[in-house]
Amino acid sequence: MADLSLKHIYKVYPNGTKAVNDFNMEIADKEFIVFVGPSGCGKSTTLRMIAGLEDISAGELKIGDLIVNDMEPKDRDIAMVFQNYALYPHMTIYENLAFSLRLRKLPKEELHNRVVNAAEILGLTEYLAKKPKEMSGGQRQRVALGRAIVREPKVMLLDEPLSNLDAKLRTQMRAEIAKLHSRLNTTFIYVTHDQVEAMTMGTRIVVMKDGFIKQIDTPKNLYNYPENKFVAGFIGTPQMNFFEGTLRKDADKVHIDFAYSNAQITVPYSMLYKVRPDYLDGKTPVYIGLRAEDVSVNSQKVKNSKSTVKVRISHKEELGSETLLYGDINMDGDGYSESSTRIIIKDDGNCDCKAGDVIDAALNMERVHLFDKQTEESVLPRLPEYNYLQCTVQNGIMNFYGQNTELPPAMRCADGEYGLLIPTDAISEGGDVAVNVKACEEINGKYLLSAELNGKMIYALVTRKITEDTLKLGIDLKKLTLIKDGEKVIEPMPAVNRFNGSFVKRKVKKTAEINGKTKTVKETEFLMALEDREFVVNDGLARKLFAALGVKKAFTTPLIIECGVYDIKLSDSGIHASAEGVLDYGNEKFLKCKIGENAVYLLTDKQYTGEVYIEPDFDKIGIIETQRDIRII
Amino acid sequence: MEKKKYRSKSVAERISLVLIYAILIIISLVWLIPFVLLVVFSFRGESVGISADYIFPKQWSFKNYITLFTETQFLTWYGNTLLVSVVVTVVQTVIVLMTSYALSRLRFKLRKPLMNIMLILGMFPGFLSMTAVYFVLKEINLTQNLFGLMLVYSASSAMQYYICKGFFDTIPKSLDEAARIDGASRHTVFVKIILPLAKPIIIYTVLTAFIAPWGEYMFSSFIMLGDTDKYTVAVGMKSWLDNAMLMSQGYFAVFCAAAVVVSIPITALFIWLQRYYVGGVTGGSVKG
Repeated sequence: MADLSLKHIYKVYPNGTKAVNDFNMEIADKEFIVFVGPSGCGKSTTLRMIAGLEDISAGELKIGDLIVNDMEPKDRDIAMVFQNYALYPHMTIYENLAFSLRLRKLPKEELHNRVVNAAEILGLTEYLAKKPKEMSGGQRQRVALGRAIVREPKVMLLDEPLSNLDAKLRTQMRAEIAKLHSRLNTTFIYVTHDQVEAMTMGTRIVVMKDGFIKQIDTPKNLYNYPENKFVAGFIGTPQMNFFEGTLRKDADKVHIDFAYSNAQITVPYSMLYKVRPDYLDGKTPVYIGLRAEDVSVNSQKVKNSKSTVKVRISHKEELGSETLLYGDINMDGDGYSESSTRIIIKDDGNCDCKAGDVIDAALNMERVHLFDKQTEESVLPRLPEYNYLQCTVQNGIMNFYGQNTELPPAMRCADGEYGLLIPTDAISEGGDVAVNVKACEEINGKYLLSAELNGKMIYALVTRKITEDTLKLGIDLKKLTLIKDGEKVIEPMPAVNRFNGSFVKRKVKKTAEINGKTKTVKETEFLMALEDREFVVNDGLARKLFAALGVKKAFTTPLIIECGVYDIKLSDSGIHASAEGVLDYGNEKFLKCKIGENAVYLLTDKQYTGEVYIEPDFDKIGIIETQRDIRII
Repeated sequence: MEKKKYRSKSVAERISLVLIYAILIIISLVWLIPFVLLVVFSFRGESVGISADYIFPKQWSFKNYITLFTETQFLTWYGNTLLVSVVVTVVQTVIVLMTSYALSRLRFKLRKPLMNIMLILGMFPGFLSMTAVYFVLKEINLTQNLFGLMLVYSASSAMQYYICKGFFDTIPKSLDEAARIDGASRHTVFVKIILPLAKPIIIYTVLTAFIAPWGEYMFSSFIMLGDTDKYTVAVGMKSWLDNAMLMSQGYFAVFCAAAVVVSIPITALFIWLQRYYVGGVTGGSVKG
């Protein structure tokens, strides 16, 4: 019973292959987490790193309050169930279950009770005297589960436990594992490549591909709000339909043109508010995703729908309760192979169409998913990153949607019309922008506020659930971007500074008093060399570097040190830099300095010129190793 | 095609079968005859030398065996050899099993080069190093000493890792991992999980470890040179053969008796252990 925290976890093999990339996750106590993804996506590797069977190349793994990176598996208080059961063949089932308890030197009576109890839970009582080879696959897997539960571990790890069982047994065991979870009240981490298993069992699912986390969310949210095309296609059967196409904005309507087909539909712009304006130019290709159940051939629905396309039916799959219709929105397409015009329609079985028929299908555009063709990321995200607005600047006053804001000296620009990007996290409560609240939803622990500012929808990330109807919002001006003719006129101030550095150790002579005598002793000091200066750092930082890089490599690897603009200060013993001027954002002023070619920003209150010396706060730095491109801290 | 199955064997097939069996019979005769002769000669009651031109004894008797145990040093030699072999067997088996497990399961720097070096070194005949080994032993006063002999025999044990490692590689690693998660140390995994599953290979290791010193001549003849009390059977019996006078006086039959006695422990050991030799102990552990 414990929570887990994984921070910047990497697995890099000696040949440079990265099996797991920057895995970040907080797992709460008693959660049922499922890692899912195609084979080779790093899900098992991550699980084995949690178990301690695989070294963690970089990052920090916590179980409860303990950092367990270098802890032996047996000391982590976890239990694991393997895909191939891994029962001890020379021991009886009883001994298999009791093995871990014997190693813990549990009193005989308690040991017996625990084994019998576990056997009872899993229905193994009558098999206790048998050997594993006398049992069937399902029973063996039950023993493997039993071996895990007698331990009463903090965390249960299951590595594809059901993939060796046949379909019927698998469904049965799935239910049993879910039951076990509610009964044991402990944290479960379950690895599978089967999305059905993931959807049915997990409280939260981690979808992985090629070592990267693609999305972490509840099963329902993964299904309804996939963040990228991979998740959209991986979750749900039949697979989501993907069409290629373009979006063209025309006043308050958006025309959607499907590629390789004559199909075209028009939707109101309000439906696609969150889409970045550059996708609405009618040229940028996007993937249009629609699930099979969001397409209908029901005559009533087709009649009422404003967005229909012609589909040529190619074949049907009868599933009993429903029928899957396969077709193509391109009249020359075959409807069999997966293409960007093939469409699968889930029908209730009332359609009497046959192969070759051309019929109308209604698309439920409320549930459309749009993905960038290159990055495959959603362009209609649930949590939009930016608000896309227009503004005019006149005499240093920025006007947008009836809102006048004086631009601070750092943002002075010529009069004219500009495109305005306001990050959603730059807007917060408390300020002078009055808005009408439309909605406030919780998304992964964050609150997204949708509000109306003189007829324009704006989004903001706020810290609490907003219940009021009207609200005053403030905008952090240093995060804004002003665009004119496709060029950024005003850029946001970077939030972090980067330095080149390396890690050094040095022997220093110190005078110490030993047994009443003053002696000179040598001590090792760890230093961080940043640009032209060295700073003494604490042992904790050194330990993290050693853990991530190895003791030898820690001193030879070039590093990049990141430091937030608020976590850096002027100091006489700091790095030598030349002050370039002060950026005045009204309520905050930042000093811009240069170290070689690199610009560095820090919070300041007065003007500096010429030489300055700066020092980052080493308790708050981030470190990136450049060779393997790994974030260490 | 169908018909071929029911047709009787063709002439060519018959001839090849006859040939194969003929060759096999010849080979087995070449193998068996010396041993049969040895056994038969050892029961000769009459005193004749090595040059006697008949096979079966004119008078069957245990006389040679009695002479062997009462009038010669054979019993001392036999004891020496048994002591050395048993100690070497124990030491070597332990070392080989542990080395093989480490090479099979642990990943450490230079693991592959180390394995290759051991394999290549093992290809050189051991006696190449004999003079060097002799002088080292002489320096530390271990010549004419059974302990020195044990040391020489078991020193290179780890180099016999190859077959054993191959066996350990077939035991699924998930067993180790499961045990380690269950709370076992590497040592516990080795003793409680791996060894019980490795019976066939333990038997194999014991047999090879016992047979090698039991019949070894080269090193022991060198190291024990000049001290007949410390001879092993191979060295002792060779010293009889070298003595032509002894042989002509009918000692040849005693020699044969000694050879029979020497072969008893190995035969017994093999008969006793071969029932464990069957594999398939890992059945049911993991999904096959």
